[in-house]
Amino acid sequence: MLALLFLLFAGMAIGCALAVVAQRNPLYSAISLIGVFISLACLYVTLAAPFIAAVQVIVYAGAIMVLVVFVIMLLNVEEEAHQRQRLKFLLPVAIGLAGILIAEVAFILVTVQGTPATSGGLTHLDETNVGLTQSIGSALFTQYLLPFEITSILLLMAIVGAMTLARRGMLSPNARVVPGAQVLPLSMVDPTVGHEDTRAIETDSTDEAARLLGVAELRDQSKRE
Amino acid sequence: MDSQTALDILLKLVAITVAFTVVLLIVAYTVLAERRILGFIQGRLGPNRVGPGGLLQPFADLLKFILKEDIVPDKSTRFVYFLAPVIATMAALMTMIVYPFGPEFQVPFTNIVIPLTIARFDVSLLYVLGITSVGVYGIMLAGWSSNNKYSLMGGLRASAQMISYELALGLSLIGVILLAGTLDLAQIVEMQSGWHGARWFIFFHPLGFIIYMIAAIAETNRVPFDLPEAETELVAGFHTEYSAMKFALFFLAEYINMFTVSMLATTLFLGGWNVPFAEDIFGRGTFLFGLVSALGFLLKIIFFLFLYIWLRGTLPRFRFDQLMNFGWRILLPFALLSIFITATLIFLFPNL
Repeated sequence: MLALLFLLFAGMAIGCALAVVAQRNPLYSAISLIGVFISLACLYVTLAAPFIAAVQVIVYAGAIMVLVVFVIMLLNVEEEAHQRQRLKFLLPVAIGLAGILIAEVAFILVTVQGTPATSGGLTHLDETNVGLTQSIGSALFTQYLLPFEITSILLLMAIVGAMTLARRGMLSPNARVVPGAQVLPLSMVDPTVGHEDTRAIETDSTDEAARLLGVAELRDQSKRE
Repeated sequence: MDSQTALDILLKLVAITVAFTVVLLIVAYTVLAERRILGFIQGRLGPNRVGPGGLLQPFADLLKFILKEDIVPDKSTRFVYFLAPVIATMAALMTMIVYPFGPEFQVPFTNIVIPLTIARFDVSLLYVLGITSVGVYGIMLAGWSSNNKYSLMGGLRASAQMISYELALGLSLIGVILLAGTLDLAQIVEMQSGWHGARWFIFFHPLGFIIYMIAAIAETNRVPFDLPEAETELVAGFHTEYSAMKFALFFLAEYINMFTVSMLATTLFLGGWNVPFAEDIFGRGTFLFGLVSALGFLLKIIFFLFLYIWLRGTLPRFRFDQLMNFGWRILLPFALLSIFITATLIFLFPNL
């Protein structure tokens, strides 16, 4: 029964993974990738690790891929045209690396006999609750506390970095956007200010924006010209 | 595969079929109830022609959906267009298997003890959250594949809204997990028994309950958070191009989601199948106890469903920027605050 399930989910995972690479439409690739993640989660369940399986679905299929699909939809990426392959010289390298990987797997299959539990590696653990939430939680917050904290700080840095990159040259954080109104930086109506001034105003016409920013005379001049 | 495993699998299949059928029936009648109650709120009658008092209306609707012409837009992305309603309905139905519908009870005149849960495992709460988060794809892909700008706008709005409110939803549940010390829904319900109903987690974690309810309405795209299908702006949002049975599947998914979200609220905050004083009157494990508990569970869910319909009849729709501001600037900090309060409570009174 387990072998049957393994073959089913492993087949699904490999099939979806091939589809990720083979599809020309980026959205189809993304959907296939979701398929890979879900098949992997099913495999984790058969390996008695339900927590990892649930987290796999929530984090990868539920959060990260939603953002990927969101971006693909937002940018409306068209189907990739048949372009000239610029990276063709990498093909033998890829084949070589794949060969090494397959050789490694074959080596492990041939040399390693029996699971770690039977050969004395994990005997101190009760293998029925290794994958359960409680054991993962207690291990994470005692034995692996430092790596856990470092990972958290790493993620925080990534968020702060993304924010600083996205904020650069944009509206000031105090600017309020009202639907139907345009928010204009001063530099758009007054080129002499340059791009440094990001003072934002709230209005629904360019004329009023110019008046509010105190550059109405400038604008009138340019109109007359 | 020996005969015991085969029997187990057969029993599970039967249980799943029964649960799905019952839930689909309840959902069908929720639609009718919504139309009748909305009619009452707006001072009209609502559908009352098919069957006595309109009771057969859901079947008439179903027949209509099946017999209507199924129109597929010419320039739609075919495969994804067919896939989207399937994902939406499947993700909505899949969470049904982990909920404890009632306690274990003994079948009369036999020694067989039946648990009213289909599947019980260690991380059932995380399973529910995971499947719910996959449900977004149904709406997103529907919006994208229809090749219609209104659909696309609806899909984008839906995904932005659901990602934003999923955060607050998840955070509001952390207090319950802290109180229960487990992610197993059956165990969470067990923890809330006793004290004649005063042990329900809503009394220990009230702020979390309010945040959960608001976020859950947003997650199911219901009024006042139904921007993905705002008919005054987007025709019908992500399902503009869907017709006949495929539209019915989206419709169904929305109402099943309402049902499961109400079920989760009942399980986590209102004591699940715990009915005050039922244990004293009938005794634990008897058939009557099981029946009363299961009915109590259903009654609590129906209360939440009524709340949804009531809100739809009362509240106007949010504007999109109001929605985002509310989700990120109000709901999220308050969810964090509720976790802080509950954690402090547990720290001060560890024997709660």
